[in-house]
Amino acid sequence: MSDMAVAVGGVKLRGPVLAASGTFGYGTELPVLERRALAGMVSKGIFLRPREGTAPPRISETPSGMLNAIGLQGPGVDVLIRDYAPKWAEWDFPVFVNINGESALEYGEVAARLDGVPGVAGFEINISCPNVEQGGLYFGNDPRAAAAVTEAVRKRTSLPVWVKLTPMVSDIGVIARAVEAAGADALCAINTFVGMSIDLNAYQPRLSFRTGGLSGPAIRPLAVHLAHQAALAVRIPVIGIGGIMRAEDALEFLVAGCAAVQVGTATFVNPRAIAEVHDGIAAFLEAKRFTSLTDLPRYLPRD
Amino acid sequence: MTNGGQVFLLDSPITAKREVARDMFVLAVRAPEIAASVRAGQFVNIGWFSGPLLRRPFSVYREDGENIEIILKAVGEGTSQLLAMKPGDRLSCLGPLGHGFGLEAGPRRAVLISGGLGVAPMPLAAGEATKLGIHVTWVHGARSSDELCTESQGHEVVWATDDGSKGFAGTAVAAAPDADVVLACGPNRMLAAVADRWPEARVAVETYMGCGTGVCLGCAVPLKRGGYDRACKEGPVYRAADIDWPSLPSHLPYAVTA
Repeated sequence: MSDMAVAVGGVKLRGPVLAASGTFGYGTELPVLERRALAGMVSKGIFLRPREGTAPPRISETPSGMLNAIGLQGPGVDVLIRDYAPKWAEWDFPVFVNINGESALEYGEVAARLDGVPGVAGFEINISCPNVEQGGLYFGNDPRAAAAVTEAVRKRTSLPVWVKLTPMVSDIGVIARAVEAAGADALCAINTFVGMSIDLNAYQPRLSFRTGGLSGPAIRPLAVHLAHQAALAVRIPVIGIGGIMRAEDALEFLVAGCAAVQVGTATFVNPRAIAEVHDGIAAFLEAKRFTSLTDLPRYLPRD
Repeated sequence: MTNGGQVFLLDSPITAKREVARDMFVLAVRAPEIAASVRAGQFVNIGWFSGPLLRRPFSVYREDGENIEIILKAVGEGTSQLLAMKPGDRLSCLGPLGHGFGLEAGPRRAVLISGGLGVAPMPLAAGEATKLGIHVTWVHGARSSDELCTESQGHEVVWATDDGSKGFAGTAVAAAPDADVVLACGPNRMLAAVADRWPEARVAVETYMGCGTGVCLGCAVPLKRGGYDRACKEGPVYRAADIDWPSLPSHLPYAVTA
């Protein structure tokens, strides 16, 4: 067996495959799951206070993908601490909380409330959600705002801080460097692309929010490229995200310079997707006779 | 309401297919674990090789201990692909999912009201009610007699058609008598009419669905008390009075009942 362990942004993980935020709930919902292969999970995004989310319809299928506008529905940080963190504390993989805010101050406050709570292993700062009116993407496409949010969280916690980047920028490297300089331990690249789909019977968008985040295999080549560009821009690890359905997809991100990956939409289709991706990577390493994932060649030609 | 039981992910061959009304078909698939545990109103989420990205949710129509049946029309690319498949072709079945009607002994008379593809959960519901000693009146409606699925599974059914070509001339809701318990499934606009007349009715709603397992929050059902919950997890069966009907979308290309 090849060694699948990786060190990413302040934590040692037993494998390279994590569950992506918004596709795994709080880790308690999914049936027929195989947890053995799960290196870690990122919780559904949370704000300080409860949020109702957007009106339906919230999702729409597209060629090889789906649009979603859930609007970060969630119970708020107090319920997260009361109902979910105690469960996470008993699990054998780390749980990272995807944190959100309408201001840098709120991001910092959420982190401070969760810092030291048993079961919370670290944070993924969401500066890339396209489906909220306040915050979200606004912070993700401006390097100064992205850095300010990262700093605000960094100051309030000693836990690992990851930052999830948006693809909706002209140069992801600029944001990646700003966030690295502000103290991030790792980057997660990328969140969904903003998309729109029109209902030709109603003459209006299919989603009540008008636009949604596009995920699934439709975005994979775009995501591989952006994760690669982020990896070229920084020295901290990059966690690749975007349309991973199979082990080969994950391996593309790893070779393109990522230290680990997150699997998201695939879990909707196949609750066992993460285990299958993990096992497929292990089989690839065996077949290619690599004793460790760290021996996998990376394509990162820096100038 | 009942369930919370084990969920199975099965590789299921199609075992039979039949037409039950114009352009409306029943597919049977071999899924013994689901057949043994499914309750009326629960659903399966079905995917297939080379199919669309997302699975498609279907109420379980009937089971025989070995196979489960779903009922569908070609309403989009996914359902068209499903109907082009043949016995022996394989489907991936995830289920049983969601909370069903949760029938328990006690009430004397139940009225089951279904419209169009909303017939889907009713054979199991009628069977469960009968077993519990509840007297069943089942009212099933469609636009016209050729669109009416007339499989009654031995139960007495009151037929209703909008054009009067079979049975009662009018909607199934208008044809239904009162009872201790009302169960309904059909287009959301029909269910809103049920909610007006019987606030305590248990209704199976249709929504878009992403995962079917409670994690994507895509199948949001707007509630009267505010906020949303998940058709796939807390539903798809609700107390009619709990739903904020004007906020629930009513035209869906595919759904639990489609």
